[in-house]
Amino acid sequence: MLVSDIKSRPVYERLALDGSGRRHLVLSDAPRPLAEVIDGTEDATAPVGYWVVAATSAVDGQPKSEPAAGNAPALEERAFRAVPHLLDRLSHRLAQETVGFRLYAVGEEGFIWDVAKLAREAGLEASECRTAHAGSLRRNVFCVHCKTITEGATTSLAVCEGCGAHLVVRDHFSRFHSAFMGVQADAEAPGDLPPVEEIFP
Amino acid sequence: MSRVTVPLRVAAAVPLSPTLRAFTLIPADGGLAPPAGPGAHLRLFLKNGERVHRNAYSLISNPADRSHLSIIVRRVEASKGGSAFLHEAVEEGDVIEAGLPANLFPVVRTARKHLMVSGGIGLTPFLAYIATFEASGTPWELHHFCRPDERGVFEALLAKHPASKIHIHCGVDLGGLEDVLVRQPLGTHLYTCGPALMMEAGLELAAALGWPKSRRHSESFGGAAEGGAPFVAVLRRSGMEIAVGAETSLLDAIEAAGVDAPCLCRGGACGQCLIEVAEGEPEHRDHFLDEEERASGRFIMTCVSRARSPRLVLEL
Repeated sequence: MLVSDIKSRPVYERLALDGSGRRHLVLSDAPRPLAEVIDGTEDATAPVGYWVVAATSAVDGQPKSEPAAGNAPALEERAFRAVPHLLDRLSHRLAQETVGFRLYAVGEEGFIWDVAKLAREAGLEASECRTAHAGSLRRNVFCVHCKTITEGATTSLAVCEGCGAHLVVRDHFSRFHSAFMGVQADAEAPGDLPPVEEIFP
Repeated sequence: MSRVTVPLRVAAAVPLSPTLRAFTLIPADGGLAPPAGPGAHLRLFLKNGERVHRNAYSLISNPADRSHLSIIVRRVEASKGGSAFLHEAVEEGDVIEAGLPANLFPVVRTARKHLMVSGGIGLTPFLAYIATFEASGTPWELHHFCRPDERGVFEALLAKHPASKIHIHCGVDLGGLEDVLVRQPLGTHLYTCGPALMMEAGLELAAALGWPKSRRHSESFGGAAEGGAPFVAVLRRSGMEIAVGAETSLLDAIEAAGVDAPCLCRGGACGQCLIEVAEGEPEHRDHFLDEEERASGRFIMTCVSRARSPRLVLEL
């Protein structure tokens, strides 16, 4: 049994704008049309920001406002070079924000839970920060033996980048680490490894 | 509302204004006062001849100081007698029976900042809050609304705390509150205590400004059950008919009839006493049911809520 039946794995629903918010910021770890990641932005009554990771050096991270149709508030879009670029600006934004703000994150689990952690550290509650999964199912794996997080595992066994152990990637998810638990596969019979399967495409 | 009582001796009874009197209470048998967190209230059982008044008052004493408990009592014109009794008949040295302190208005410990909005004597729980926040160093801000003639009384009660965090407004116009609510950093929690209409207006304004429900809090004494039109509760399963008097709660009446009904906090907060309503119209006084559940009329919290209709049939 490679993947356990532990059910700490988060369950996601499609995002919808929370109408009670006074300012909204939507984050995506890849370029996607806004309407594809969240419902309700077309009739928003409060300003909406949309920050995406473009994964290219050809963007500058500066805000670009698009006049919206009718009386709707303007949509402010920003494209970032990479995830750390976006998270850095997000930290600054959160430090200046006030109650009434709503945050949304869409992307791979490592990304959305890194956002959730920043949000929690800034004082946001779960009802003010919503997440949804999109893209690859690859996992960040937390080695319970050496505490290293190995990113982007797509297979049932992952080699730990810290100690080299072959880890069974379990369904046991840590919101704190944004990672799944990995336990040495051949701890009892060294070298006796189960076949490796690609299960997190 | 615990059934356990402790005898408390009045160590000091000091008039603060023509209608406000402060009491310092110490355990009559010596020892430490019962523990009470910030926001807790004390229910006093006042024997006035044949009658027993049961009145709840917010504790104003520093929760970390167990040497005494303090309350402030406003003499209410339309009083059923409890506050008048405390103003006229209780003297220093008297012993009063009190329930153990209960807290239906606790501080949110994970809050980054605490924003308090009080009206008149509604300041009282915040005196205990502020003592706690000052000790822990958590940021706080108080907006107090009162009549001009009582400003001095409240200023004196707050005098030992940093003036920069205290804003006293004369009158009941909450107009300036919007500017306050829109500039609060993430992680701030709002607490309001005062006249019901003021609390409602404050909470509604916060909701309109994007404050989620989990950040909006208001005082509740859990005393809401008493007082209201008498009605008859019918327990559908047994067919029992129980008369609920004007000054008893539905839960007390059910218990007095010998029926064991679910309950825990007895203050309309925990949700344990929820019962399905088969017929009749509930008058909701709890803090547990959401808008939709209230509107459906299908449930009632027996500890605090009553009936609008003369009969209320319960699935009990």
